[in-house]
Amino acid sequence: MINETIELKEGIKFHKIQTNKFKTNLLAIFLTMPLTKENVTKNALLAAVLRRGTKNMQTQEIISQNLEEMYGAGFDCGIEKNGDNQTIKLYLETINDEFLPEKEELLKKSFQIIFEIAFNPLIENGKFKTEYVQGEKENLKQIIEGKIDNKGSYAMERCIEEMYKNKAYGLYKYGYIEALDKITEEELYNHYKEVIKTCKIDIYASGMLPQNILEMVKENESIQKLQERKVQINEEPKQLIEQEKIIEEKMEVTQGKLVLGLDVDSNIENISYITMCYNTILGGGANSKMFQNVREKASLAYTVGSNYLKRKQNIIIRAGIEIQNYEKALEIIKQQLDDMKNGKFTQEDLNNAKNLIIATIENIPEEQDTQISYYFGQELANTNISTEEYKEKIQKVSKEQIVEVANSVKMNTIYFLRN
Amino acid sequence: MKLVESTRIKEKAYIEKLNNGLTVIIIPKENTQKKYVIWGTHFGSIDNRFIMPKTNEEVFVPDGVAHFLEHKMFEQENGRNSLDVLMSLGVDANAYTTNNHTAYLFETTNNFYEALDELMDYVQNPYFTDENVEKEKGIIAQEIGMYDDDPGWQLYMNALDCMYKENAIKIDIAGTVESINKIDKDVLYKCYNTFYNPSNMTLVVCGDFKPEEIMQEIKNRIVEKEKQGEIERIYPKDEKGINKKYKETSMPVSKPIFLIGFKDENTNKDKVKKHIAIEILMNMLVGKSSPLYQKMYDEGLLLAPLDMDYEFTNNYAHVMLTGQSKEPKKVQEELLKQIQNLKQNMDNKYFERIKKKVYGDYVVEYNNVADIARMFLSDYFKGINSFDYIEQYNTVTEEYTTEILNEIFDEKNMVMSVVNIK
Repeated sequence: MINETIELKEGIKFHKIQTNKFKTNLLAIFLTMPLTKENVTKNALLAAVLRRGTKNMQTQEIISQNLEEMYGAGFDCGIEKNGDNQTIKLYLETINDEFLPEKEELLKKSFQIIFEIAFNPLIENGKFKTEYVQGEKENLKQIIEGKIDNKGSYAMERCIEEMYKNKAYGLYKYGYIEALDKITEEELYNHYKEVIKTCKIDIYASGMLPQNILEMVKENESIQKLQERKVQINEEPKQLIEQEKIIEEKMEVTQGKLVLGLDVDSNIENISYITMCYNTILGGGANSKMFQNVREKASLAYTVGSNYLKRKQNIIIRAGIEIQNYEKALEIIKQQLDDMKNGKFTQEDLNNAKNLIIATIENIPEEQDTQISYYFGQELANTNISTEEYKEKIQKVSKEQIVEVANSVKMNTIYFLRN
Repeated sequence: MKLVESTRIKEKAYIEKLNNGLTVIIIPKENTQKKYVIWGTHFGSIDNRFIMPKTNEEVFVPDGVAHFLEHKMFEQENGRNSLDVLMSLGVDANAYTTNNHTAYLFETTNNFYEALDELMDYVQNPYFTDENVEKEKGIIAQEIGMYDDDPGWQLYMNALDCMYKENAIKIDIAGTVESINKIDKDVLYKCYNTFYNPSNMTLVVCGDFKPEEIMQEIKNRIVEKEKQGEIERIYPKDEKGINKKYKETSMPVSKPIFLIGFKDENTNKDKVKKHIAIEILMNMLVGKSSPLYQKMYDEGLLLAPLDMDYEFTNNYAHVMLTGQSKEPKKVQEELLKQIQNLKQNMDNKYFERIKKKVYGDYVVEYNNVADIARMFLSDYFKGINSFDYIEQYNTVTEEYTTEILNEIFDEKNMVMSVVNIK
């Protein structure tokens, strides 16, 4: 596997991942901008409108036909929150030319199509097509309203919102209905022009790529039209709260959802690798403290575990519990946090955690989209760590380091969704 | 070892039937770190009546036994749980039960042989006690309760009820609370001894292996058992025609969900070729660029294309088109219209375009060791070599596809199941 990054113009990079593990080539375009209350909804709507039609493929039907003609190329377009940034992501997956029944230049065509969707949308009278914008506003509204359908992810979303009140990271990636109602076709198009002029652009290609791939990208008209730009990754300073917040929300649920948001407050070297091990021992899988103590021993939860938000240095603990067991569950969870602080875990626990993390790292090059996401994460963090180095860093984590991190962990918010 | 290959996508598989009757399929993938192994027995929820080859005794078992067995296999003597052991090796392990098979699997980049030791050990050494069987009943009852609350599952079961009066596929995979209560350790051992005999099992590995080496490793881990003959399975007789046209129920869903099914009564005719033609037809009728989807999307009646599936074994076969709409009946009417249009005019350009798309779908399956191994296992139990989908692709003509269209997509074979908003 070879990874190479070429700066096409300032702020616009092409990343090449040469790999022979797959039958497909995967192309991706990521448009990254600061996450702000003002633009979050517009960006989410933009991602939806772009896939409706382009100058040369005016309807969704024509786009679909083109994709089918390319042996069922898979196209996907969505929105993501990356720390204090928002990214519009476009993907196109096609079969590698080597495995086609007849010779065709699929890769070249793939670039044309994905660039066309991102950079050459359908414009009528100086704005996006009214019908498309209105239709997608309706769909996005359903997505935002549907946030409450999945109670587990809703509770997690709410906890993060409370932890980051009035801050970028507390925003919902699909935006807000109040803002959505006000967006006009014209405004959205003006916003789009601004995005294309200023956002950070990363183009990824993964697969068995030909020699002339860079030319394919450089020669593309849409790419040539893009101008250089100064880009910066948005990163708000972390503020620790003085006293933990306790939030209760009521909804018609049979199962209560308990979510605990914690801050990791340490500047120890290699903090993210150490915290990763800490998190895995605490709530990473079936062998973790949470799973063993909250679920297996106390039978308090159906689902329980913890996540590590690397970009914001937070641990989020989640448990689905009977509502009347709130106190008991909280007590046991806090006990686990204390045990971590006091070093009450074995070398075997640490080894199991390392095995689990290393298995995840080894999986990175085995899936094209996972690999692209990994490199994009490095790009945003401005680091360049190979998966081999990553594994070594995990291997080196010691019990003492974990205890040190454990003692820096502070409760930020306790959120409970109940009836 | 017998070699089968697909030159078009440059993949090979080695197949061998061992002396004890076990079939082993090895699919080497040179450039991948990930290794996947899946061990399946040809025993699923539909196998509730059979003749034990050793004793010639005819046995009826309660519904849900295959699934119950799957749950109990991980548990070993002294409270040891094989799933935990595999997890601590950094291995992603699991098991599942379908209508016609049960499978145990893991995926890993490391500790492959340690994990293989554990997998082959627990699958060959059951440990059932009155106590641990009793304990499991509560857990499975919870799982059944979860299915009862699942609108998608109810939709599917009701569609099957429309298509079949009396077919074993109607048996719920997990059984019912009543049926699982009849399960005891003796029933489990009876089923285990019959269906977990190597001659009824197939093991598939996919990853960067040298075929001879991995074959030897597998052989080294086999516990010798007496080879047994074919198991005679007794199923209800094939029935002609559908059971009923329509069935509906109400559950908490945000919009009605529906399933339109077409029963296929010729279950044994050129399976692969027919399957390819049906994939093409389903895409032409309800896929992303289909006239039906465009029209329904514009009218706000569909937000996403329908999910399409052709489910088949020797005992049943049906097309299932599933979606969500505020007016399922209108979607059904439009579908019938589109079927008529297609019967009168099989648009050549459209056909060729969708045929290409279907080819791409097959090739993408070979991106991932897990998909490859699972596909080979489930196809093997249907008597199919998975490469045939790629190899026979070109034999599917417009004429043949029209023939299949007329045969299967007929109003008299059609049923509909709907889950309305409660």
